[in-house]
Amino acid sequence: MATINGKDIRKLVVACDAGMGSSVMLASTLRKQLGKSGVTVEHTPVNSIPADADVVVCHNGLAARARSVAPDKPIVGFQVFLGDPAVTRVVKAIQQGTDLNV
Amino acid sequence: MSDQLLDPRAIRLGETAASRDDAIRLCGEVLVEIGAAEPGYIDTMLAREQSISTYVGEGVAIPHGTLAGKDLVKRDALAVLRFPETVDWDGEPVTLCVAIAAQGDGHVELLAALAEILLDEDQARELREATEPETVTRLLGSIQEEAKQ
Repeated sequence: MATINGKDIRKLVVACDAGMGSSVMLASTLRKQLGKSGVTVEHTPVNSIPADADVVVCHNGLAARARSVAPDKPIVGFQVFLGDPAVTRVVKAIQQGTDLNV
Repeated sequence: MSDQLLDPRAIRLGETAASRDDAIRLCGEVLVEIGAAEPGYIDTMLAREQSISTYVGEGVAIPHGTLAGKDLVKRDALAVLRFPETVDWDGEPVTLCVAIAAQGDGHVELLAALAEILLDEDQARELREATEPETVTRLLGSIQEEAKQ
């Protein structure tokens, strides 16, 4: 368990296997939700998580792989692609500058 | 136009499938038929579904291949298949599949539009209940035009 403050998140990465489908959809909704905050949202395959990512969001089924690729990054796993409470918590932490436990 | 992202030939609204995998195969066959992917891409779509479901909510799934399957994509394209009798998708009833073949980011705007639609109950229902291809292109299409600019 680690804690990250929403204010310290400058780049959020949505990772999935191919970076072709669901991660694209989630990234687009997050981009819209976080548009005003100035946070960069990218979608990438889980094998190429960029070094400057502050937080990684990915499906629970990929969280283990994401951790092995980016062991030093906070990883937030989710189960449903649209409206998952875990993702909502990240958005809130960024918007309100509050702490996020991951 | 055969090189567009959402080819009218790839919108099929009266399909039937006995199972999730059957539906994915049908989706894959359409992507192959319109020249968007090699036949081997279909197996990678099935593999992807095995590892993580592509169900995204509101009776919609977005089947697509794995990272390895990207090499079998010939051009970015989508296919929209509707199963009026629904398909059992690991316990979720799926009416609409938006199948994806993509190497680049050409389809990103269209998926963004889909996400917006699914977050709006009324629009999601309209898309799910569409019986005319024009309804699908109208719902997804205005954004598609923007993406081309």
